[in-house]
Amino acid sequence: MHGYVRTGNSQPAWLFPFVVITVLILSVLPLARLAMVGIAAFANGGVLTVLGDPSVWSATYYTIVTALFGTIISLVIGCLFAFLLTLTDITGKGLLSFFFVLPMMIPPQVTALAWVQMSGPSSPLLKALSIAPPLGSPQPLYSVGGIALLYGVQHAPLVYLALRAGLMTLPRDGVEAARLSGASSLRVFRDIILPLSLPGIIAGAAISFVSCTGNFGIPAILGIPASIFTLPTLIFTKFSAFTSRTFGDVAVLSGIIAMISVAGLMIQDRALRGRDYRIIGLSGASAAFELGAWRFAFTPLLWAILFFMLAAPFSALVAGALVPAYGVPLTFKTMSLHAFEEILFRQAVTRTAFVNSLSLAAATAICLLTVTVLAAYALTRRRDAASRIVSSLIEIPYSLPGIVMAVSFILVFAAPIPFLHISLYGTIWIILIAYLSSFFAVSLKPVVSAFHQLDPALEEAARLSGAGFFRRLFDIIVPLIAPAAGASVILVFLIACNELTISALLWSAGTQTLGVAIYNLDDSGSSDLTSALSVLVVLMVVVMMLLLEFLAKRLPKGVVPWRS
Amino acid sequence: MRIPPMKTIVSAAALLAASFLAVPALAANLVLYTSQPNEDAQATVDGFMAANPDINVDWVRDGTPKIMAKLQAEIQAGNPVADVLLIADMVTLERLKEDGKLLAYKSPEAGQYDATLYDADGYYYSTKLITTGIMYNTSAGMKPASWKDLTKPEAKGLVTMPSPLASGAALIHAQTLTAVPGLGWDFYKSLAENGAIAAGGNGAVLKSVASGEKAYGMVVDYLPIREKAKGAPVEFVFPSEGVSAVTEPVGILASTKNADAAKKFVDYVLSEKGQEGFLKLGYIPARNGMKLPEGFPSRDTIKVLPIKAADALKNTDQDLKTFSGLYGSN
Repeated sequence: MHGYVRTGNSQPAWLFPFVVITVLILSVLPLARLAMVGIAAFANGGVLTVLGDPSVWSATYYTIVTALFGTIISLVIGCLFAFLLTLTDITGKGLLSFFFVLPMMIPPQVTALAWVQMSGPSSPLLKALSIAPPLGSPQPLYSVGGIALLYGVQHAPLVYLALRAGLMTLPRDGVEAARLSGASSLRVFRDIILPLSLPGIIAGAAISFVSCTGNFGIPAILGIPASIFTLPTLIFTKFSAFTSRTFGDVAVLSGIIAMISVAGLMIQDRALRGRDYRIIGLSGASAAFELGAWRFAFTPLLWAILFFMLAAPFSALVAGALVPAYGVPLTFKTMSLHAFEEILFRQAVTRTAFVNSLSLAAATAICLLTVTVLAAYALTRRRDAASRIVSSLIEIPYSLPGIVMAVSFILVFAAPIPFLHISLYGTIWIILIAYLSSFFAVSLKPVVSAFHQLDPALEEAARLSGAGFFRRLFDIIVPLIAPAAGASVILVFLIACNELTISALLWSAGTQTLGVAIYNLDDSGSSDLTSALSVLVVLMVVVMMLLLEFLAKRLPKGVVPWRS
Repeated sequence: MRIPPMKTIVSAAALLAASFLAVPALAANLVLYTSQPNEDAQATVDGFMAANPDINVDWVRDGTPKIMAKLQAEIQAGNPVADVLLIADMVTLERLKEDGKLLAYKSPEAGQYDATLYDADGYYYSTKLITTGIMYNTSAGMKPASWKDLTKPEAKGLVTMPSPLASGAALIHAQTLTAVPGLGWDFYKSLAENGAIAAGGNGAVLKSVASGEKAYGMVVDYLPIREKAKGAPVEFVFPSEGVSAVTEPVGILASTKNADAAKKFVDYVLSEKGQEGFLKLGYIPARNGMKLPEGFPSRDTIKVLPIKAADALKNTDQDLKTFSGLYGSN
């Protein structure tokens, strides 16, 4: 492929500057502003006041502890599923994989609400089954352990996907050679597969850790009632008690989150160094192991885990939506559709939230696609130092927790834009810009991989025949990368639809997103309405994932995350 | 045919612009910030829009301190969104009035209200009476009759209350009870020693007690009375020492661009029709000569404890600090 790469003028002069300017606005500007406010806080001693506050240190402690334990749990579950679904001949792989990835797509506050409904003395589900704990027993999930457990459930799919990507490229002949020499399955697993899959496991752990440190939905639902604050929820409460110092304080706090995430990523880097295993020969590890009799142990185990991760919390959520009031046991007599009726036909906020989330998600996905096709073209064709810098600048906002980006954009747009005198704070546009920044990398990835698979010869031929840039773009490139572009749109759409962390800080009257609507309904004590709206959101997610599943046959390998 | 690049750029730009426009421009005539629960806020707004079909209302709900923080942040960013406030207590609105953030409006409906229930200059008007008493789960061992019962050993670790940092009514409640001889901050101290917790707003207390995580809760009256009617296992009592009360006043922000619509909203919530709407939702209307909602004892049996608004305003920061010192800052 390298032979085809030219340094000539096959791309228009404006293309790369356009990409650079976009990246400057979406990545560099907000982070630079955050750094500026942070430095100003250092200069005037504000940092000392913040750092002298014991609640900051306890929040930092809880953030790290919950993220560490959450990562461990997600590693255990994620690795189990990845090894069994990728390397063995277990049956029902497609279905298991689909369901296992589902929690990742569900908004974290919905996961948390469902689990709360599932456990504790209040659970409509447990009450219906008459096994609810007695009066006064604490909700077991309102604890560090509860937060870590749900982090684990929410992020296990991330580990699964990262490890699976690595396992797919395992050398089959290595395994076969070991087998022929008489090595047992366990020996092959321990001596060949495990060392080779370490990079995938480490990468999964790092993604999971960073996602845990930035998670807002889970500690907001589980931590706040028990006075357990993590840094994201502490930032949120600081905004709830707004003073003149708030902006400086949250800049410092989000700096701490950013440092924890970066530390996690650096440990990953260290751990991966010296583990550059080049693989020769035939890859593709489909069914390297036959489970034999073990299948009767593993198949039920996986389904049992899925039952506790998905089916039980979701039925609890449905039960919570069907009871007329909190604390009433669910029976055929008490069952009522009132909550669904209220949320669908009376609450204006439902429509506002659906319209906002769907149009924000659509606008984000489509705007990003326009930019990413151009950016991917520029970046894959240039391959110089400048394009590598631009690529990593695109990655930064995605790898930082959403709350850090939200704070940065508030700082940029808190005051009206100079000269234009337009105020973006409190409008839907600030949410859109923050989404564009945070999900740029998500949108770019499938498109870039499609560009890498593209043979430049086609385009070259068109160019030699005199086709201009846009002619080549629309007649050759776009049709060839269309499947990947479609997947990129749907992925961004799915993620943006369920987003809460960013919009929790940026919403205002009329710009509530679905995530915000669910969180506020819960906060006002309307648990039946919260459950009803959550059920609707989960159904929406499942429908969108099914859509991707049906599209999957026409997409390049690896674009739909849960398919091989 | 060779596509002219310029035309393509223009059409691409038009496409981009169209996708931007697809995000709805929110053409609300009036923005209401309220601390009423979502269902009630929606009902109030629906009632107003039915009476004024030409005005469209968008509303935001959050606890009073949180919604005030949101407003302050917007004011600092130079873009206050709200036109009308309908929030827990007069003390908060008194503070806004002193800061010059409110618009004076003499509503013709004021004649039907007790003079203590609205601002003489017309900056804010009370809309209802919301008392804070004790709710308990019906499976609880002790039936509380007074505030002091919550400090008994039977209630150890089983009491929850809303935090004044999240609820305006809870702040007024704490300021009222601590001014009562025989209760004072000592009462809150012995509650804390008895394992009581304070977290979130009244909604969180309702959930916690209805669900049985806690057995007793300090909470605003209408929530448990309404839930009980729906079948939830809860009871509400007006303690013997008396109850605190807030009056959920309505006020117009000086920065409003829709003053006429805002004035209509104020008139509506004070009108007989608006007040009947509150009555139907289970609130005690503030207007003279209105009935009480179902499930309430007659009004003369409810002993409302007095609060000195000026002192409350002056001591708010100190009181919040004292409270946080006992229960943590959440």
